[in-house]
Amino acid sequence: MPVPRLELRGVSKIYSNGGPPVEVLHDISLAAEPSTITAFLGRSGSGKTTLLNLAGAMDFPTRGEVLIDGRCTRGLSDSELTALRRRRVGFVFQSFQLLPTLTALENVELPMLLARAPNSRAAALDRLRWVGLEDKAASLPYQLSGGMMQRVAIARALVHSPDLVIADEPTGNLDNASGAQVLDLLRQSATRFGATVLLATHSGEAAAIADVRIALRDGRIVGQTPWSAAGPPQP
Amino acid sequence: MTLFRTLILRPLLRDRLRTGLSILSLALGVAVIIAIQLASEAATGSFRASMQTLGGKVDLEIRANGGVDERFLGKLTGLPLDAEFSPWMETQAVIPGIGSVPVYGVDALGLPSGEAIVSRGLAGRLLTPSAIQATLGARTARFPIGRIDPRPGEFLAFDIADFQQLLNRYGTLDRVDVTLGRDEDPARAERAIRAALPASYLVQASAARTEESRKMLRAFGWNLRMLSYISLLVGAFLIYNTIAISVVRRREEIGTLRALGAGRASVLAIFLAEALVLGLLGAALGLLIGRILAGFCVGMIGDTVNALYTTSRPAPIEVTWAHIWSALLTGSLVSLAAAWGPAREAVAIAPTEAMSRGAHEHRARLRWRRALAWSAGFALLAAALSRIRPVAGYPVGAYVAAMSSVAAAAFATPALVLGAQRVLCPLLGEWVEGSLAARSLEASLARTSVVVAALATAISMMAAVGLMVGSFRETVLVWLDAQLRADLYIRAAAPLGADVYAPIPAKALDAIATTPGIAALDVYRALPITYAGERATLGAGDMEIVRRYGRLRFLPGEDRDAILRSLPGRDRAVVSEPFANKHGISAGDTIALPLGGGTVRLTVAGIYYEYSSSQGYVIVDRATLGKYLPVQPATNVAVYLPRNADPEKVRRVPQRRTAGMGVAISANRDLRRNSMQVFDRTFAITWALEAVAIIVAMLGAANSLLALVLDRRSELALLRYLGASRPQIRAMVLAEAGLLGLFAAILGTVLGFVLSLLLIFVVNKQSFGWTIQFHPSNELLAAAIALVWLVTVAAALYPARVAARQADASTLRQ
Repeated sequence: MPVPRLELRGVSKIYSNGGPPVEVLHDISLAAEPSTITAFLGRSGSGKTTLLNLAGAMDFPTRGEVLIDGRCTRGLSDSELTALRRRRVGFVFQSFQLLPTLTALENVELPMLLARAPNSRAAALDRLRWVGLEDKAASLPYQLSGGMMQRVAIARALVHSPDLVIADEPTGNLDNASGAQVLDLLRQSATRFGATVLLATHSGEAAAIADVRIALRDGRIVGQTPWSAAGPPQP
Repeated sequence: MTLFRTLILRPLLRDRLRTGLSILSLALGVAVIIAIQLASEAATGSFRASMQTLGGKVDLEIRANGGVDERFLGKLTGLPLDAEFSPWMETQAVIPGIGSVPVYGVDALGLPSGEAIVSRGLAGRLLTPSAIQATLGARTARFPIGRIDPRPGEFLAFDIADFQQLLNRYGTLDRVDVTLGRDEDPARAERAIRAALPASYLVQASAARTEESRKMLRAFGWNLRMLSYISLLVGAFLIYNTIAISVVRRREEIGTLRALGAGRASVLAIFLAEALVLGLLGAALGLLIGRILAGFCVGMIGDTVNALYTTSRPAPIEVTWAHIWSALLTGSLVSLAAAWGPAREAVAIAPTEAMSRGAHEHRARLRWRRALAWSAGFALLAAALSRIRPVAGYPVGAYVAAMSSVAAAAFATPALVLGAQRVLCPLLGEWVEGSLAARSLEASLARTSVVVAALATAISMMAAVGLMVGSFRETVLVWLDAQLRADLYIRAAAPLGADVYAPIPAKALDAIATTPGIAALDVYRALPITYAGERATLGAGDMEIVRRYGRLRFLPGEDRDAILRSLPGRDRAVVSEPFANKHGISAGDTIALPLGGGTVRLTVAGIYYEYSSSQGYVIVDRATLGKYLPVQPATNVAVYLPRNADPEKVRRVPQRRTAGMGVAISANRDLRRNSMQVFDRTFAITWALEAVAIIVAMLGAANSLLALVLDRRSELALLRYLGASRPQIRAMVLAEAGLLGLFAAILGTVLGFVLSLLLIFVVNKQSFGWTIQFHPSNELLAAAIALVWLVTVAAALYPARVAARQADASTLRQ
């Protein structure tokens, strides 16, 4: 039986920053395959971002396991996790998170430079071309529109051809037209590059591009496509 | 008050480490000033005490160059005045286990002959309370203690007759103190006393002597104080930075407060209050540290005063209310002044503008041209000020020029950082940590510039003082080479001091003069004099021997041979450069020198380079001195040997012959080494001050880097998302520190070079009157800068650790 690219088994996450413990995720189990988009829907505080951080090996679950290609993240050292992120994970954020002092091209190139990968400049240019911003290579972030910045962020997430692309509210700060462009690029990430895309969103349009849609409420999965006869759960 | 607690106290308590570092930086700045103030007062304390008479209140003092003839005492006592005349003599003695203490010869009525008066302070340190062993002049003896004097300080006194006998100083007194009766008219008394004495005698209010002392030490004290302000200046940069960071970090709170109706004045008051809290805490801690540092400094300052000015023994360090107020005021004012700029920045935040970090930094980037224009303005001002003549003897223009130079460098920092980035970024190539560090520093230009300016100021001061001391040392070495041409030097085995001229016993002089194998002998007589209200030394030697064997260097354009030939048998003198500069004397001028019972008019034949005393020398031929002060004893002897003679071998003969006569015979090499040791000791305090300034700058670097790291937590976390490892984050922060250190080293070296020129050619010339040849030591400079750079990087180790630890998912907020 083939191993899913990403698998969460009975994952729970509890935070206790000095106060009473808060369970942000409760007993989550799911699997995601290559070339697919999985969308997580839910209101603020439902646990979407925490779930993405666990999936991207940026954090560990309190209980349960996160497996990437069958390998549990908990057993990995910090340097192994870093290596995993470098090779296999790409992140896209709601507020773009471009470094303001780097040009568009340098922002895209950064993950490859951090990984000391060869031909980083050519790969970055290639991805920038793919998102249609080759002519903005030398622009600094403040010279770009929101939509352009998010396209640069997608190019950056894809520059090292990761297996897993994690996008947290990628259209949250964009107008409809820019949002549509970004969603199209994410769709292509899955279809053209074979990436497994995890998408956290509030938006129905964004969720519509997903192959699998999972609804979260208070850290629990409350629905999954195909929806039940009653339709999608109300957030 | 609630706002103050919420916005100021709570964040200060939350960031305990950064708050602590800020307070410590300021505390060290204040501590250095207080330490120097306390130590200077203690080091010169006993000197002031020695000015006071044992007899209580004194109205007038009578002095004369060459001593007061004691025969006048009878004449004075016979004057129809309600006045008491007390003879006074003074020298230094060495007490085993205690060191050098002043010894006074006074009119001690009722004290049995041969017994000593000992101050309570000194008596408390003696092992046996009934007697004291002391070396006076050439004699060591044990004296019974006849009386304990209750006055503070440490001194020893004898009846004047015993004193004269012990030191073989008959016929003259160092001074006569005059105490007037209550009903006596001071003006009438002064007129009567002047009429009874030769015109060359000085009759002055006792305060005048204190004024002489003040004048003598003012340049030294002033320069020391100026150096002590460096650390505070560096500390001020760091307070500026702390408040600026505070403003940036609380931009949202400020925006919210303003939106809720807080006025500009309230916001300004909040941040100034923060500065005041830091200032007061820093000052209080500084006072404490300053008191401890003073204990270490007092010995070093005392050594300098002894070597260059006058014999002095440190008094106890006393912290008064004046010191406490001075510390609190200095700390608060400097802190408030430094906070004014950033606090105004906070006020400028409009309610609608939740000021972003970028906005503040973006403005700084836009303003670099304007800052550069300010820099040019300050540089021009510095150039103009450096040409100003001293004001009341103080090199005020030079100091303001130095401050202007520091300001010029500070304003040039943004342009330097941006320029250096342009050069460095391509060089850093694909070293991603280095490139990111460089970009990050550029992104935080305002903050980076302040840290660079603070570090550069500390480095520049170190470089400037290093260049100045190095040049001075080299100049003195060259000068010593010319000055010390004799093979053996002989002096009385009395304590060494700038104004101690102990006589060599006559029989020792005879024993030396008849030593076989000597080519020439220069017997030198030195005595302290007062000229135009300032102290100096009158020296007399055999000018023909000096001409033939010595290599005295005169100012350019003066013919050494002709000058020295013109001295014997004539009322002509050569004067040292500091003396000439202090009194505005040129070659060919005539000086009227009160000497013995008359006033001698000496033509200045030439001005020679001299670095052993800033008080100055007037040198005449021995025959000229003999004409006016016939019984002046020899104080030093220079022995010249034939070429190829072995000084060590020849030395044994006079050593054997003068055994037990209390003379010290040094070979040329030993004297040279001792001179350089004195020189190095003199500047030890300077280096200590520099070290504190550097420590303050390092604390500032650590503090600022920590703030930078805390402020950029989300950016660092993002790098982790993009695949950066913790070692890479650490390397990035260390690279930032390395770049900060590099920028500061570049700016500090340039500024240091400018400041060293100011110190050498303006401050020293105007303060002490000597010409220092510029001898830059590249190795020393390079080593010092490398050290500072390394320590800057070391200061970043903790912030780097914090950065690596904090960069995780939880810190990246969307």
